[in-house]
Amino acid sequence: MPTLHEMQTAMHASLVRRDNGAVSAMLAAHITADRLDIYRNTFLFGLTKALRLSFPVTERLVGEDFFEGAAQFFIAEHPPREAWLDQFGGGFPDFLRSFPQAKSIAYLGDVAELEWAVNSALHAADVALLDVAALGAVKPEDQGRIRFAAHPSVSLLRLAYPVDAIWRAVLASDDEALGKVDIESGPVNLLIERRETGIEVERLDEQSWLFVSTLCAGQPIEAALNIAGGFECSVALAEHLALGRFCRFELAAPETSGFIHSTAA
Amino acid sequence: MRASDISQASLIPAKAGIGLRFQHHQGVLDTRPDVAWMEVHTENYMGGGTPLRYLDAIRRDTPISLHGVGLSLGSAEGIDPAHLERIRKVAERIEPGLMSEHIAWNAVSGTYLADLLPLPMTEEALEVVCRHVDQTQTYLRRRILVENPSTYIAFGDSIIPEWEFMTAVAARTGCGILCDVNNICVSAHNHGWGASAYIAALPPEAVGEIHLAGHSIRTFADGSTLRIDDHGSRVSEEVWRLYQEALARFGAVPTLIEWDNEVPPLEVLLQEADHAAGFIANADGASHANAA
Repeated sequence: MPTLHEMQTAMHASLVRRDNGAVSAMLAAHITADRLDIYRNTFLFGLTKALRLSFPVTERLVGEDFFEGAAQFFIAEHPPREAWLDQFGGGFPDFLRSFPQAKSIAYLGDVAELEWAVNSALHAADVALLDVAALGAVKPEDQGRIRFAAHPSVSLLRLAYPVDAIWRAVLASDDEALGKVDIESGPVNLLIERRETGIEVERLDEQSWLFVSTLCAGQPIEAALNIAGGFECSVALAEHLALGRFCRFELAAPETSGFIHSTAA
Repeated sequence: MRASDISQASLIPAKAGIGLRFQHHQGVLDTRPDVAWMEVHTENYMGGGTPLRYLDAIRRDTPISLHGVGLSLGSAEGIDPAHLERIRKVAERIEPGLMSEHIAWNAVSGTYLADLLPLPMTEEALEVVCRHVDQTQTYLRRRILVENPSTYIAFGDSIIPEWEFMTAVAARTGCGILCDVNNICVSAHNHGWGASAYIAALPPEAVGEIHLAGHSIRTFADGSTLRIDDHGSRVSEEVWRLYQEALARFGAVPTLIEWDNEVPPLEVLLQEADHAAGFIANADGASHANAA
């Protein structure tokens, strides 16, 4: 008699690898193996639906049938690791980039990556915002050592194609705008976040993007300024704070990477 | 868990409720329908943002039951502590009147199989499920209900009738039973059991909730049929008849209308709930101890 774990491993092979061999032998005599198809269909249908909800623009670009086919390959290669399905699909953009059948649409992986950032912003945890009063109390000579923790809804992407324009045009079903997108216009720097009013995808210039990316990576203001290079940061910083892009701050130690002071919101 | 541990306002009454899906978040807030309680899938509220805000707002007027689909009580490898903690966090925020899970499994080898998969009805599976129900109830510090499955396959090693399996889980762990009458109808047909006998074999004192939903019937080339639990239509006449048998045996029990595929307008769900409410009103034994 197989153990429960052996049965579950056999069922896994049937659902994910279409290998009914082991589990067929465990079924009751009156059950035909074709009934396993019902479970495989539910498994694939449910996860394809989850991907469809997270990547609607990607699907519109390639069509339903292509999307379904790609989704099935992806699901077999990267089935979900946990029961919280909002987290399922993070590997889909890279999968599409290496999916031979999608090669002719060079920007497809970038579109999917933008959609995943949008999806992550939608589901990101609600967190308390940074305590602006405490921030204001930091002495001017210490301000360069302030480092922030980014709000979990914020993503910063540098993508090779202008996929924000494609994404907007497809969502608006605006074929004219889609036709006007110049695919070869070069890379874009994007900031994606959830605001009170909904999801925002904003295109930033090189310096602004470098500055906020460095801050969101947890580097102190001083380091962010060095990387962004001669950048007037006060306006940008005020905007980041006003839009709630940071949820905590700390002061980095003057000479080491440790902390001497910590203030949580 | 004592009833006093949950505030009176959150208790699920022995009345008809509806499964709340995203499609109806705004409609419920706009129209404030007259429905005694609602149930949501716990997994849909584990992130932040809009869904939780809707549920918070709806929760102010309507008791909520949390129904999980991902804990995998039947996994030989154990249940995922991170998922259990996510469930606890949703419960802490929503203060549900009832919490429920399934007699099923969906995780093995670090993979989540995204379905409610059938267990062999063996002593080993029973021990595994009971261990995980214990673990869950201890962690959440409250009683849960476990739902009987709908199944399309059966295992050669199964030796415990499903209704005895359900009864044993409740007896060994102190959990309650969420009696899904549609699932009984589906599985009884698919395996040649007597649906009425199944209901008659469940312990009334353990049944804390009933689920009703629609199913479809698939006909094969040889003329045989299989019932598919797809939650995509109205409750069938056959299930309504079984439901009356269930009420006659269990007394008035909180009853939920579930609809997950091709979700209809809110009005249709409310009509189905009204239909159930009519049967509850006629049921013997006006009050049934709430499972809280």
